[in-house]
Amino acid sequence: MAQAVQPQEGAAPPAGSRFRFEWRWTDFFWILGVVLLIAGAASMWQRLTEGLAPTNLTSYVPWGVWVGFYDYLVWMEVGSLLIFTGLIYLFGDKLLLKVKPIVLFTGFTIVTMGLLIVLLDLGHPERFWHVLVYAEFSSMITWMVWLHSAYLLILTLELAIVLWGGRRLAGLLKPLALVSLPVGLALIIVSGSIFGVVAARPLWNTASLPLMFLLSALAAGSGLLLFLVVVFWKEKNSSEYTALVNKLSVITRTLLLAGVFAASVIAFTMLYKGGGNPTRAEALNLILTGPYWWSFWIVHILLGVLIPLALLFLAPAKPLLAGIAAFLSSITFVAVTLNIVIPTLVTEELKGLATAFVDPKLALDYVPNTMEWLVLAFIFGIGSVIFGLGLRFLPLQSQHTEATHD
Amino acid sequence: MTESASPHPPGADLNRRDFLRSLAGLGGAAVALQALDQLALDPEQAVARYEAQLQELIYAEGTHLESLDVLERMRVELHRALEKSPAERRWVMVIDLRKCVGCHACTVACIAENKLPPGVVYRPVIEEEIGTYPNVARRFVPRPCMQCENPPCVPVCPVNATYTNEEGIVEMNYERCIGCRYCITACPYSARTADFGFTYTQGNANADGLILGSDIADSYERAPNFEYGKQYPRQPGRSSPVGNARKCHFCQHRILNGQLPACVTTCIGRATLFGDANDPDSLVAELIASPNVMRLREELGTEPRVYYLV
Repeated sequence: MAQAVQPQEGAAPPAGSRFRFEWRWTDFFWILGVVLLIAGAASMWQRLTEGLAPTNLTSYVPWGVWVGFYDYLVWMEVGSLLIFTGLIYLFGDKLLLKVKPIVLFTGFTIVTMGLLIVLLDLGHPERFWHVLVYAEFSSMITWMVWLHSAYLLILTLELAIVLWGGRRLAGLLKPLALVSLPVGLALIIVSGSIFGVVAARPLWNTASLPLMFLLSALAAGSGLLLFLVVVFWKEKNSSEYTALVNKLSVITRTLLLAGVFAASVIAFTMLYKGGGNPTRAEALNLILTGPYWWSFWIVHILLGVLIPLALLFLAPAKPLLAGIAAFLSSITFVAVTLNIVIPTLVTEELKGLATAFVDPKLALDYVPNTMEWLVLAFIFGIGSVIFGLGLRFLPLQSQHTEATHD
Repeated sequence: MTESASPHPPGADLNRRDFLRSLAGLGGAAVALQALDQLALDPEQAVARYEAQLQELIYAEGTHLESLDVLERMRVELHRALEKSPAERRWVMVIDLRKCVGCHACTVACIAENKLPPGVVYRPVIEEEIGTYPNVARRFVPRPCMQCENPPCVPVCPVNATYTNEEGIVEMNYERCIGCRYCITACPYSARTADFGFTYTQGNANADGLILGSDIADSYERAPNFEYGKQYPRQPGRSSPVGNARKCHFCQHRILNGQLPACVTTCIGRATLFGDANDPDSLVAELIASPNVMRLREELGTEPRVYYLV
């Protein structure tokens, strides 16, 4: 039987009652957000007044940590929602409906952060509307912007209906969720194709890259979903909770293993010396053995794959360990997107170009500077405040079912 | 005839030759100085006279352009090409690597012509070292925009801010560009640069009456450039082309006014040549048909319009 969302914890106090502020553990999010906003405010101001000049981006490395984080956020948000929506509406796992508000709201927060990051990465962010008015659909970025906007719209509608729609509009949730599946899939594929279609960059220019984006997004997203379930599920002593955590653990570890397998096959093919592409191998070697080898081997492989896999295999029925595994796995996936974006760009297209005309903005070296990290901190601050305030003032942790509408 | 067969002793012959050569040199120098003097005194008249001579060459029947200096020849051919409709022209650049000495005059001329700010360069000259010591050779490879027939930078632009015009030049619409820099990543020649908004004099001190501070000294870089036939003064703030991707456009604004690209006119070795490849009699059409021609990264199928003679 369908029930409208019942305001419970997190809802506004009844009218007439005297407001008394009570600290909750979820206040951590908005407090963290405020700290991040304060930390990043000066850099954000610098970004708004001086453009991209204070960044370490150059003409030869025109995309950096912001683009890497944008892709990471797309993976997280769309990956988690694809798994979530697929499990509910394609595989009939109604249990997950109980966390629908929090999952949708997390997705909404991440989508918003992603759009803000990509907006700040533009040389002329005030012209963002050109992509809608002068859209050139041969460009993958056009598709990305349109799909991302559509995804945000669908997600906002879903969230609004879940939170305030009541029974009257609950019937729209399934069609909206089903529409979000192809849109989400397309968004991930297009995000990968932005790089995949660039023939000038051999490491990117492979048909497998968009598919690897999808696989990675699903792996990162399932980790996020598992983490949200472990953190926000209300009845942690119930058997259904253990069963759900177990199921999501199996999905997460399977996707992680599939991702590692696929990436290994692709890497071995690219590194093959006989007849291989030397520029491609050079960029790949930069990831594996370059100055930032640790971001791949330690951050991603050790902390993001091996330890989570060990935890998920050794302790499938222990939600706390599964939660730690999911947290580690989902948070360290950012090392993958950064390693996709940056090493390819710091590989010279024409030998000798970097020394042909010397200028700090014509350099091949790129390491994100403090300003770039602090702008990211500001964006994460916005996300964290939205998430924290949502947890406090919206009925996100309420039980939600759509049984009669399925 | 050998030296020993000469009726005069070698020393005496050389002396007379040197003497005559010196006289000729002095005479030539005097004429040149006189011409320069005249140019300085009345530049408008001198330019008008030059233009009149050029017009004569353009319209003269049976002129043997081969006998002219290549710069003269290219200007004549340029004027002839401009009489055709834009769609009938196909501008190409030919760079003779055997003549390039790596002086970077073209790079500097390009910067001056287009008032390029720090960090923006349209035509760097790559210095290549070939081989290992002791068998080492050097080669200089100027790298303008290749103006590809299949430009990878064009379809990736999400707002159609970059496109190929009728003459085959890949242009930018600065007002429309959102600064996503996708075109920069897509160019296999790294021929596009981002304008981050720097100026050469920024950060310099200002002290009225004491020093020529940046407020006054930067007037030269605040002057407008004339890219794409428009005027883009570099004003304080973030107006275009700041925040945009920028690229070489073969000095299109000069071409349309009958002038060769700045890099061509300043090349001290006549190593950079320019013209209409659709004119079968043009210098460039002749050169790109020679067997010692190559283009950069041809395997990508971009069909560059910049050819290198090796």
